[in-house]
Amino acid sequence: MTKHHPTSEWIALVAVLLVVGGCGQSEQVVFRLNMREVVSNQIEPQYQQQIVNVIEAMFGTPDGPSVMPEMKLDIKHLKFAAGPVWDDQAGRRHGLYRKHCAHCHGINGDGRGPTALFLDPYPRDYRPAVFKFKSTYNPARPTTNDLHRTLMNGVPGTAMPSFALLPPAEVAALVEYVKYLSMRGQMETALIGYVFDELGEGDDGNLIPLDPVNDSEQRNVIVDELLGDIVTGWEEAPEQVIHPDPDAIPVDKSSAQWAASVDKGRTLFYGTKANCVKCHGPTGLGDGQQDDYNIWNKAVMTFEEATDSLPNQIKTTRASMKKMDKEQTVATKEDLVLLHRSLTDHREVLEELLPPRNAIPRNLRQGMFRGGRRPLDIYRKVYTGIAGTPMPGGGPVTPGAKGTLSDEEIWQLVDYVRSLPFEPASQPTRLRINYDVLN
Amino acid sequence: MFYGSRWIRTPENPKLNVPPGEDAAVNRFWCIVFLLVPILGVATFIVAPYYNIWFPRDVSTHGVTIDNLFMFILWLTGILFIGTEWALFQFTWKYDAERNPEPVKFSHGEHTLEVVWTIVPAVILLFIAIYQMDAWAAAKMRKPNIRPTAEIAGRQFNWDVRYPGADQQLHTLDDIVRYDGNIHLPMGEDVLLVIKSQDVLHSFFLPNLRLKQDVIPGMEQAMWFYAKDTGKFDVVCAELCGWGHYKMKARLTLQTRSEFDKWLAETYKAEQAMKVATVDQ
Repeated sequence: MTKHHPTSEWIALVAVLLVVGGCGQSEQVVFRLNMREVVSNQIEPQYQQQIVNVIEAMFGTPDGPSVMPEMKLDIKHLKFAAGPVWDDQAGRRHGLYRKHCAHCHGINGDGRGPTALFLDPYPRDYRPAVFKFKSTYNPARPTTNDLHRTLMNGVPGTAMPSFALLPPAEVAALVEYVKYLSMRGQMETALIGYVFDELGEGDDGNLIPLDPVNDSEQRNVIVDELLGDIVTGWEEAPEQVIHPDPDAIPVDKSSAQWAASVDKGRTLFYGTKANCVKCHGPTGLGDGQQDDYNIWNKAVMTFEEATDSLPNQIKTTRASMKKMDKEQTVATKEDLVLLHRSLTDHREVLEELLPPRNAIPRNLRQGMFRGGRRPLDIYRKVYTGIAGTPMPGGGPVTPGAKGTLSDEEIWQLVDYVRSLPFEPASQPTRLRINYDVLN
Repeated sequence: MFYGSRWIRTPENPKLNVPPGEDAAVNRFWCIVFLLVPILGVATFIVAPYYNIWFPRDVSTHGVTIDNLFMFILWLTGILFIGTEWALFQFTWKYDAERNPEPVKFSHGEHTLEVVWTIVPAVILLFIAIYQMDAWAAAKMRKPNIRPTAEIAGRQFNWDVRYPGADQQLHTLDDIVRYDGNIHLPMGEDVLLVIKSQDVLHSFFLPNLRLKQDVIPGMEQAMWFYAKDTGKFDVVCAELCGWGHYKMKARLTLQTRSEFDKWLAETYKAEQAMKVATVDQ
């Protein structure tokens, strides 16, 4: 019988604890390139690295953000929100974005954090800078206040909670960081487009490098034009806020006036002019047309279709080679190699994208309005639609233009939508079946 | 063969197959280690109030009943715990193999002993069951005959609150609905809450009011209390409801009826906004 030492038990225990507790190195946190855009535009690997370098020079890293004065972003806010989570000596929490947001919205703000797949709707991808819940015209950026409101109230009916209990400075830092990630994403797409449109093989057969540090012409385009446009979009947001015509705002309605307004709203809702019924359904349950997609899912679908079409392209290219002479065959073989590489890249990227989901129109009978439940919020939704989604606006597309619906009609629709949760479901006019057509 | 068997002297194994001295020390070493469990367990309760991890401040009228019940059961189980743990320690210490060369004699049952240790816990459990009945009835059965002050609807991962408007009815056009986690309720009067879930199981927990209610999807639960004081207090979700459970927090503001009414009126006005100042949008 071997002698049993108690110390060996302690060593085993410590070993088990180390394995369970884990003492491995954590992965370095980096911004990842928007590979969907890169692969779609067939950006060469040399350019991919150069784009990463330029973006990093402009925006820094997830642990060390940096900004250019042109961006008009507050670096103090960004440093507060970026980086790993830790508390300083004054007890101030740092790394707010990673603590509160990154697990859904992702380090890049691409809406593909680890918990994103479990959510419906998916978390927002900030990179296209399209935000649904805002006070501005459809194509415009949101204002700082709009992002702030979303953080304070969350988005009812989704997994986005309220962050109103955080200290105001932390909320402000997070809002700034969302803007930063959004601008960064826009810049990335713009750079990919720039490389695709402007760069490529030079006269000497080599690739013209993306090198704004040494090429002042490139620098001017990138900073003044590309970044300039992005920043202007954000800066102009406050001018793009929709303010209802003060003369058309209905005030202090009597109950009879209210009922009349609701009635008119109902007629509009089910009529062809506003045509809300098309998507929101004959009972307002959101059971109309449900097979459309929002832009974020559409982008994934387009990419899917491109991936699916590649094998066919390879097949036809291969078939066409039979009738070619030697010289043509050599060139086509090169094309084939490129197509195969593209297919591999496409499939690799597709694996990381979230499977597309339909945009389901809101069930208005729940009385839950994701962009806010004030009459003003609903007015703005009817007026300009919801950016990025199939929901169109009935008001003018730009300030000063003329829309499908008048201000008065929009307010009537607002009244009807607000009354919908309390209207008996059997009351609305049913869709009449035209038996003449059937027979 | 289980791990410790070579330290038990039985008629089949009359000799300990380990050298004496060293392992006897190990035996008593483990006695002390096991004794540390109850000692540290009891110590936790003794030092907890000094580290502010004991009861949060109670601002409800019924809280004292809950706290007394808790303390009574804690003392009862605490004394029994200390007693049984001390007995366990005594046996392991006294009868360690090194000092007891006689083989073990197994007892095959003692009727009186069996009856005693069945009856005593049964009586204690029955006593607790009867003793707590009034507290349970007050918290779960004697619902005050008033209109709900608010409706709380949990969702992954937020508490949404709906207050009745001027008509005192929930689910009408003049309701005030808040999603920002700041729950306002009046003190100095009976408050009735309707608790609902929009998706999965949650639990609405108000530690300072000594109230906790599981929220079951498809059911409406009621909660009621009478708050004695104003102030801001924590609200948490006390049922693991998904990956964002830890985020599901809110803040309860208890205020006097006049302040509460003022807040309601202001909130209602803000919620009816049809325009906002240009600077504020």
